Amino acid sequence: MSVLQKGTDRPSAGFSMGRYLSNIDWILLVATLALVAVGMAMIYSATHADRNISSPTQYVNDQAVGLVAGLFALVVVSLVDFSWFVGLKRYLYWGNVALLVLTLLVGAERMGARRWIATPLFDVQTSELSKLLVVLALAALLAEGVELRGRLRFLLKSVAYVALPALLVFVQPDLGTALVFVAVLGVMLLVWGIRWTHAALLGGGALLAATLVLRVLPQTFGLELLKPYQIQRLTVFLNPNQDTSGAAYQLSQSKIAVASGMFSGKGYMDGTQTNLNFLPAHHTDFIFSVIGEEFGFVGSAILLLLFLAVLWRAFRIAAASKTLHGTLIASGVIAILLFQVFVNVGMTLGIMPITGIPLPFVSFGSSSLVVFLTAVGLLQSVRVHSRTALYGGRLRGDQHGPMAA
Amino acid sequence: MYLEPMRKRRAPGDDPSIAARLAVLATAAVILFAVLLFRLWFLQILSGDQYSTQADDQRLRTVSISAPRGVVYDRDGEPLVVNRAGLSVGILPMDLRSPEVVIPRLAEVLGVPEDEIRQKLEKGKSDPYRVTVIQADVPENPVVSYLKEHGLEFPGVRIEKSYLRSYPRQAFATHILGYVGGISYDDLEKEQFRTLGPGAMVGKDGVEAVYDSKLRGVDGIRTVEVDAAGRPKRIIQEIQPQPGSNLVLTLDNELQEVAELAVAEGIERAHQEGFTDAAAGAIVALDPRTGEILAMASYPDYDLTSWVGGMKTDIYRDLTSPEGNKPFFDRAIKGLYPAASVFKPFVAAAALRNDVVDWTTVFNDPGSFKIGAQRWKCWKDDGHGDVNLVEALMVSCDTYFYNIGSMFYDMEGPIFQDGLEEFGFGRTSGIDLPGEAAGRVPDKDWKRQTGQDEEARLWKPGDDVNLSIGQGDLLVTPLQLAVASAVIANGGDVLVPRVVRQITDGSGNVIKEFETEMRGRVELHPEELESIRRGLRLVTSDPNGTGYGAFRGFPIAVAGKTGTAEKKPDDDYAWFMGYAPASAPEILVVAIIEKGGHGSSVAAPVVRRVLDQYFNTDSAGPMQVEVTE
Repeated sequence: MSVLQKGTDRPSAGFSMGRYLSNIDWILLVATLALVAVGMAMIYSATHADRNISSPTQYVNDQAVGLVAGLFALVVVSLVDFSWFVGLKRYLYWGNVALLVLTLLVGAERMGARRWIATPLFDVQTSELSKLLVVLALAALLAEGVELRGRLRFLLKSVAYVALPALLVFVQPDLGTALVFVAVLGVMLLVWGIRWTHAALLGGGALLAATLVLRVLPQTFGLELLKPYQIQRLTVFLNPNQDTSGAAYQLSQSKIAVASGMFSGKGYMDGTQTNLNFLPAHHTDFIFSVIGEEFGFVGSAILLLLFLAVLWRAFRIAAASKTLHGTLIASGVIAILLFQVFVNVGMTLGIMPITGIPLPFVSFGSSSLVVFLTAVGLLQSVRVHSRTALYGGRLRGDQHGPMAA
Repeated sequence: MYLEPMRKRRAPGDDPSIAARLAVLATAAVILFAVLLFRLWFLQILSGDQYSTQADDQRLRTVSISAPRGVVYDRDGEPLVVNRAGLSVGILPMDLRSPEVVIPRLAEVLGVPEDEIRQKLEKGKSDPYRVTVIQADVPENPVVSYLKEHGLEFPGVRIEKSYLRSYPRQAFATHILGYVGGISYDDLEKEQFRTLGPGAMVGKDGVEAVYDSKLRGVDGIRTVEVDAAGRPKRIIQEIQPQPGSNLVLTLDNELQEVAELAVAEGIERAHQEGFTDAAAGAIVALDPRTGEILAMASYPDYDLTSWVGGMKTDIYRDLTSPEGNKPFFDRAIKGLYPAASVFKPFVAAAALRNDVVDWTTVFNDPGSFKIGAQRWKCWKDDGHGDVNLVEALMVSCDTYFYNIGSMFYDMEGPIFQDGLEEFGFGRTSGIDLPGEAAGRVPDKDWKRQTGQDEEARLWKPGDDVNLSIGQGDLLVTPLQLAVASAVIANGGDVLVPRVVRQITDGSGNVIKEFETEMRGRVELHPEELESIRRGLRLVTSDPNGTGYGAFRGFPIAVAGKTGTAEKKPDDDYAWFMGYAPASAPEILVVAIIEKGGHGSSVAAPVVRRVLDQYFNTDSAGPMQVEVTE
């Protein structure tokens, strides 16, 4: 607890476990854990019969390791006063950039992408961690720059601020996560109070950039920033019948899986699309299809409601934060969650492109699980440290405004 | 409860718009979730059925399980056609993902032209869930084991257990049994094969064809769940096949064997007598009381085994070459020949019934018969002298019958032909075998319609004269002769001959028993009938009879008739018809040796050989028989 006490710059403050526990958002925590539990159950259903695993619970075990690590991170982060991150902005930001560069240099290459840094214990998918670091750094930047809201110059600076790590992730390549950064930037700028004219400008700029990348550059100059398979996957949902690659197959198998679940599903572990391997990546990106197939409309709706519960609590925390900084952190987490849930679920239902982003809390992957549990820890931190006297004394940072570290 | 302090804090705060901005974001979130929920509802509730069908279609494979085809037995339960297990290689069109790679590969392994595979697939693609059989009988080693080992290189290729026909006695009763083969594309369109797909095996000839629907049985169905790679995972449903019904033939396998042998011996005997062109023949043995075929053979025959799994091209070429003498052709029911003297009993019957003669009528045979300047020779150059009907039959006096023919010519209308057709000539007998020939009894109308010129269109006295000794334009099959002769043997019944006695199920229970069927009756006065029978009896018992030599020493009374048919420019065709015991006939045999020479010395011993077997008399007749006719 010494770190905490040092960070509070409040000599009289003393930690009160009772206040901490009563200020924790229990609904958020329970909904989160429920999602993780559903995820592990579905991972088991999807993988227990795999041929090349040593035990039926191999994937579940791996996920459980992520859960333990993630819960540890959640608790630690929730105890940290979020305002402490303002002072660490530089380190967070440049640390993030360094990590991403390192990934490109020494990352383990799998299936044509460098996304992982291998550690003795487990492999870290740095882009997952990067999402949170970007949220924290951007929240600090925007909170400090609250007086510069009218300045286009500052706005462009903050766009560039996010663009650098986004680009580093994009070249891994990890298009999905790069797009998450775009969503984070957009949502946080919106909450921060971007001018509508500036918003329109940025939106127009984004559209222009997308047009350049997707159409003008490849066709006119032969410059392909996106690999053909990426464009294929991005656009196949618009026109599934014209595709001959695997993307349309994935898409159609996912739709068949979800839709054939009908009202109440085929039953746990009885999904034929899943168990007979028609559904690709059924424990990772397409885990929602497994839920749709095995639990039908009822199960799918309940799962969406759990996500909605998490978002509802996150919104409350964002609104309840008495500092702009806290609100921005919560908004960033909301942005990641909302974007990933919508794009991932939308992908399995054939209304969103195939971008390869996992379903938060549910998809297999310990990096993602740890990061999302940490994000919940951040939300808890914003909540706990915005309310009265966790460490005794009065509330800090009463006003929305620039804060000194 | 939480909202209260928030509002309080925000209201005096310096930026109340943050709450509004969060509300915009929250609204967007709700809308996005509503979109997902709406999409879920659309897919799962509204379109669920349709996608469920799709899911089932891709995970379920329906494979047919071949029903074992019925077994064919002889009348004593001796199996003549059985099944053996075999392996067939086929393609399931829906799993054939890259035909351009797999088809050449498979063609090489099976040794089948690529085009043939493509052709079969083209026909089979109407039903992508049904396996199209490419090759029916594939050896386990090395072909099947290779395909199994390299299964991944042959996606869509299926190896299935199947039943193949097996013939314990190889070339035996070939034309009666017939064979099975892959259904032809034309047959697939037919109503009776409605339930079958390409590659199904159906009867092509003989009883296999006629009783195909009974023998075939009903294929079973196995529904298997497969994974995305097409590997079977478990059986969902299995409907066992219903085996086909068995046939019990009227054939007696021992008699059949002897009959086939006897024809071959007859040809040999013809060779010894100098008729070296003899190379074919036929025999029919039936029960004159019931019409049951006891033995029937056409020479040459071939081994039915050569059809199993598809006949090899070189074997087919050999069998169809001119030297092969048409082994596929069933001479017993399709071969058309002049009947010659074997026809005389029916001419006699027609004459007796129409009061042209009675049995005491005597004609003088000076060795030939004349009408005006035209002259017809009797086979005996110096003639038979005065003969009555009974004697005329015994010695096969041509002149006697020339007189009858000439008298028929003087009568109005086709009385002669009608009398002959009553015995079954000129139409099919109705036997339960495919492709029977109808033969021909020439008459005025026929000649007028088919004659090439004015002269040939005219019905002349010579036509009736020739017909009276079974020559001219008359054509009969050996089976027709047997059925007609049975009328005399049984006293008037024109029977429908048949080769199947019973249809039985797997446990031997009789499903259907075939009854004796009569299609007509020739009313003969007992005295008239007796005179013909006596004449036939004397053929073998009187030293002057044309069959006396061949039946010398035979312990049972045989009635018979020799025949030596002229078919220029060929050597004569040797005929014999005989039944026994003469007083209460149980068996009637007709034999013909093409280009074999004389009926008395070549064909009669063939019949004797069969009667010997039937009565178990073991009275091996003399190899050399004095030529009479």
